[in-house]
Amino acid sequence: MLEMLDYPFMQRAFIAGLMIAILASLSGSFIVLRRYSLLSETLAHVSLVGVSVGLLLGFSPLWMAVATSLAASWLIEYLRSSRGLYSDSILAIFLSGSLALAIVIVSLSGSFNASLFSYLFGSILSVSNDDLITMGIFGSLSMILLLLFFKELYFIAFDEEVARTSGLRVTLLNFMLVSIIAVIIALSIRIVGTLLIGALMVIPPVAAIRFGLGFFKTTLLSIAIALVCVVIGLTLSFFFSLPSGAAIVLCLLGAFVFALVVN
Amino acid sequence: MKFAPSLFEVRNLYFTRQGNEILKSITFSIPPGDYCAIIGPNGGGKTTLVRLLLGLEKPDSGEISLFGTAQEKFSAWNRIGYVPQRSALVDASFPATVREVVAMGRYASRGIFGFESTQDKEAIDEAMELMGVADLRDRLIGHLSGGQRQRVMIARALSSRPEVLIVDEPNTGVDVESQHRFYELLRHLNRTKFVSILFITHDIGVIAEDITRVLFVNQTLLLSQNPHEMIRCDEMSRLYGNPSHVVCHNH
Repeated sequence: MLEMLDYPFMQRAFIAGLMIAILASLSGSFIVLRRYSLLSETLAHVSLVGVSVGLLLGFSPLWMAVATSLAASWLIEYLRSSRGLYSDSILAIFLSGSLALAIVIVSLSGSFNASLFSYLFGSILSVSNDDLITMGIFGSLSMILLLLFFKELYFIAFDEEVARTSGLRVTLLNFMLVSIIAVIIALSIRIVGTLLIGALMVIPPVAAIRFGLGFFKTTLLSIAIALVCVVIGLTLSFFFSLPSGAAIVLCLLGAFVFALVVN
Repeated sequence: MKFAPSLFEVRNLYFTRQGNEILKSITFSIPPGDYCAIIGPNGGGKTTLVRLLLGLEKPDSGEISLFGTAQEKFSAWNRIGYVPQRSALVDASFPATVREVVAMGRYASRGIFGFESTQDKEAIDEAMELMGVADLRDRLIGHLSGGQRQRVMIARALSSRPEVLIVDEPNTGVDVESQHRFYELLRHLNRTKFVSILFITHDIGVIAEDITRVLFVNQTLLLSQNPHEMIRCDEMSRLYGNPSHVVCHNH
């Protein structure tokens, strides 16, 4: 089985996949606890707009995905915190709106090409060395910020109002969190795909919460679940020629069902 | 001779929400050591007043100072402990142990690189002991009773070792026994730990013995430094606008 690691594309896929598993499940814990799970799904759809624009105009789809996802995350957080709109309504508007925009852009390009298909559902063949470097730089930055502000983000997830009155800079931290999530999603689309990355952010924390542990242990368990599922998913993808994103998400669903049955 | 600044000083405060006047011409000050109750009818603006004091809402006009510092320049928020209304209503599955919740009260003072110091650990343990929740430290907050959760939330507020504790309608959904313990605790904090207390309540009778000041809020404010006079039935009836019967009891 380990012979799959002889292939450079599989080595790259595993490095990228494990990095994404840690980042997505760690950041996902905060949005799940804030009942904001659809944020990941919405930003994934928004990043599809960036990918479409990139493919249409010949720019880097990855960077265009980062740019559109970041801009949308700031707008969503602004509308939620400053304009008093319901967060689920904002997310629904952005989710369907961005998908509609992406479809229009794709139709303008004349064909629904194979390249876009790999961004939609993920492909272990598509991770380049440049992608790994980009993911390494931005992934490390995101990781550092998440670890530095881990306790503050936890407090905000538990009680945003009291966190604010205790002197934490809640508005700034909220914008930081959505920015990190936007970047992680945009970086993840090569492996998991825009349509499936939401699952990697949401399912591991939800499954881990079922075990009734404190936050620190729940977060560690969530990361462990994501890592195991990414390894199994990529392995299945290699041996059965499956889209990597779909294989990973099916493994995550298996973990969730297991957590549900056991607890 | 120098005097300690007021805990809260409010001058000519006005606040409207979506065109509706919620508070108008509010002026008062609360000195250190006070045990102050905020009373008034539902929708009268009690919670809004507390939220304005804490900077959670912005007034249309007026001045607020905290510990002698203008609110917009105030940064020592660890001097104020806050337990909001319905704070004890926690999602049963939320992954937070009692110890993790109480430790949140120390987060702001630890800074981003700050690990939990010996002083932090002592403050957390002391707050849990004081509130009688030390034995529950590893239990999930969502698995506790309403009264236990309420004590955990107050322990969180106390773990920052505040000089004033603000509690908004503390006994919503809490049984009588827990209410009794709660009022005993407030008295203890005020008299032996010298923590000033500011709390919103509908239970007018129970405030009779301990409090030193009453703020009656119903859009405008009526301040009384003689609470026993204020809670007379005829005075209450006049303030609330309907016949009231005040029962003074030992909880």
